[in-house]
Amino acid sequence: MNAVESRPLTADEIEAFGAEVDALRAEVLADLGQADVDHIRGMMRLQRRSEAAGRLLLAFGFGPLTFVGGAGALALAKILENMEIGHNVMHGQYDWTGDPELQGLRYEWDNVCTGDNWRHYHNVEHHTYTNILGKDRDIGYDLLRVTAEQPWRPGHLVQPLSALALAALFQWGVGMHDLRPLDPEARQEPLGSKWARWSPFLRKAGWQIGKDYVFYPVLAFWNAPRVLLGNLLANGTRNVWAFSVIFCGHFPDGVAFFEEETLERETRGGWYLRQLNGSVNFDGPRWMHILSGHLSHQIEHHLFPDIPAHRYPTMSMRMREICERYGQAYNTGSLPRQLWSVARNIVRLSLPGGRAGRPTWDSGAPQGAEPQAA
Amino acid sequence: MTTSIARIPSGPVALRPVWRSALRRWFLDRQLEGWLRDLTPTASLRETRARVVRIVDETHDTRTFVLAPNARWTGHRAGQHVTVAVEIDGVRVRRCYSLSSAPGAAHPTITVKRVPGGRVSGFLHDHIREGDVIGLEGVGGDFVAPVRVSRPLLFIAGGSGITPILSMLDDLAARGGLADAVVLDHVRSAEDVIGRSRLASLQACHPGLRVHVLRDDDPGGPGRFDPAHVAGLVPDAAARDVYLCGPAGLMDAVQAWWDGVQPSRPLHRETFRMEVPVPRPGAAVRVTLPDGAAVTLSGQGTLLEQLEQAGLSPRNGCRMGICRTCTCRKSRGVVEDIRTGAVSDGPDEDISLCVSVPRTDLELDLTPERP
Repeated sequence: MNAVESRPLTADEIEAFGAEVDALRAEVLADLGQADVDHIRGMMRLQRRSEAAGRLLLAFGFGPLTFVGGAGALALAKILENMEIGHNVMHGQYDWTGDPELQGLRYEWDNVCTGDNWRHYHNVEHHTYTNILGKDRDIGYDLLRVTAEQPWRPGHLVQPLSALALAALFQWGVGMHDLRPLDPEARQEPLGSKWARWSPFLRKAGWQIGKDYVFYPVLAFWNAPRVLLGNLLANGTRNVWAFSVIFCGHFPDGVAFFEEETLERETRGGWYLRQLNGSVNFDGPRWMHILSGHLSHQIEHHLFPDIPAHRYPTMSMRMREICERYGQAYNTGSLPRQLWSVARNIVRLSLPGGRAGRPTWDSGAPQGAEPQAA
Repeated sequence: MTTSIARIPSGPVALRPVWRSALRRWFLDRQLEGWLRDLTPTASLRETRARVVRIVDETHDTRTFVLAPNARWTGHRAGQHVTVAVEIDGVRVRRCYSLSSAPGAAHPTITVKRVPGGRVSGFLHDHIREGDVIGLEGVGGDFVAPVRVSRPLLFIAGGSGITPILSMLDDLAARGGLADAVVLDHVRSAEDVIGRSRLASLQACHPGLRVHVLRDDDPGGPGRFDPAHVAGLVPDAAARDVYLCGPAGLMDAVQAWWDGVQPSRPLHRETFRMEVPVPRPGAAVRVTLPDGAAVTLSGQGTLLEQLEQAGLSPRNGCRMGICRTCTCRKSRGVVEDIRTGAVSDGPDEDISLCVSVPRTDLELDLTPERP
């Protein structure tokens, strides 16, 4: 743990804290302009060129060097598209530009997950109910036990393996997450309504498979196996990277989880406090921030999900300073350290019991003068 | 035998959308538009854009922009307006401007008067140069030249309201429709006449066309619109088809006069430039939906809450302005963001219902088209 444990705040402190965060938000919103549009368009141009280079190298190259280069360039394109472009545009971070290509509700990303499914479970469920046990289905993705507060099931025994499988096939996990395939209640659902929920995903998955594993390989004639393998490698690389980034955002040590009752008393300041204590950053060079879609600044992303993500590094300086004044832990560390912490937790929590990294928290403004941390 | 008629052929017909879908999903959406834009800024399969090939000063505060649109431009009718989109500090801003050229002209034109403090007109005047590219998002308007001229014509314009009428006059001239037409152009001073040379040359070629420029600063003149003066200039005004475009004050005055002299026939008027939003916090507003239905809102709570109270159920998620599920397209009206106090007053802007409060009557599309 690099920081002190967060200290419980009084209702007044929570409001003051919220006001400071709001002020930072307003300041950045007022400053949005050409530089932000130039940034995202630059990313889109880089992604386009990287994708073209990757597909051309795979289709027309020969030898292992161009294969690795091609698969790498395509993986880079897919990572940029999913993380810095798709994820952030679909949050509505660029809605203010009025550019139809940058409209969050219209954007459809290069991923088997449909934009609509994603916008529902990620933007609505995960970002509104972040780290609330029973409400935020991103806690372990219905599959893993990532905090001791989750009840143990025998299935969790194999979770080190399920986690590895989820990492390799992450886009499929993301794609089906909103459809709740592991939810026992969903199993009793009539076939008709099940089909209605699943068909957009299946249709999109069909197009995605058609693109990477039929269309582009066929286009390359004799190089078809090479293209197919390269595309598989690129998708896999993106999967593992996205999994790592996202798991490092909420599941390393030091993250707080919350009970549903928190919501009853939570003000906007309390919501900010929950986002801060429920998220973890990781440090790294600028390219790593970009490749993570700036989810390396998970804390800022959760506080300001609709502010263009490339602003987070600057905003994080101010947030650290605010957190220090309010005695709040600002949880950050290197990517390997956070990954190690996640891996250790997944292995440890595959068995019953286990100790939570931090006790569950109450981000609701306490009613009395007495601060509470149950 | 009727059954055979009802049968829908499958095969090639069903295949076409699949190919289109494949192209769209694999190339167009992500790749082609971007590559095209890198190639040349006007190239697009999805957006109508135009290069500004020439800029002509009409008066001290009015300029005509001569445009070379891309292949998506489908033309316009005389008198219609186009939604011009420009990017100002990263934000795409849209305004409607009348097309001042005749339909079928090699290069369509818009004629823009600088509005004091106007964001878009100011930008067009100060920053758009020959060679720059602007967006053209849809042509519209019912204020159009008559297809068949059945009565003598009377055009009443004020200020930049002459611009759609210039388009109509050129169009009618080409179709032989100016056998008997009068133009009453209300301007502030002699320096403010837009399209002076075009009006003069039209008049020279068409003896049936009379143009009267009525100046506010004319010592002997009537100043503003004056029915008595009109009666002197155009004694048979009531027998004519009237086309009216100008500032709100002039439009109201002409409308009142017309309702008196000719209650049986409406006059033709341009309406889009009449929008003068009056902020009114907490007052009840009317919301019009794309299908023409309208609801009245209480004025209490957020726009989302008010719409729900009115019996509608717009899509929504977090109800705190972070998830954007309730974002919808506002085509007209003013709303304020309750978090920041930011005001959205332009046409065709996206707003989030759960953090907006209405300030004027609105036109909303609650279910914007999604891919």
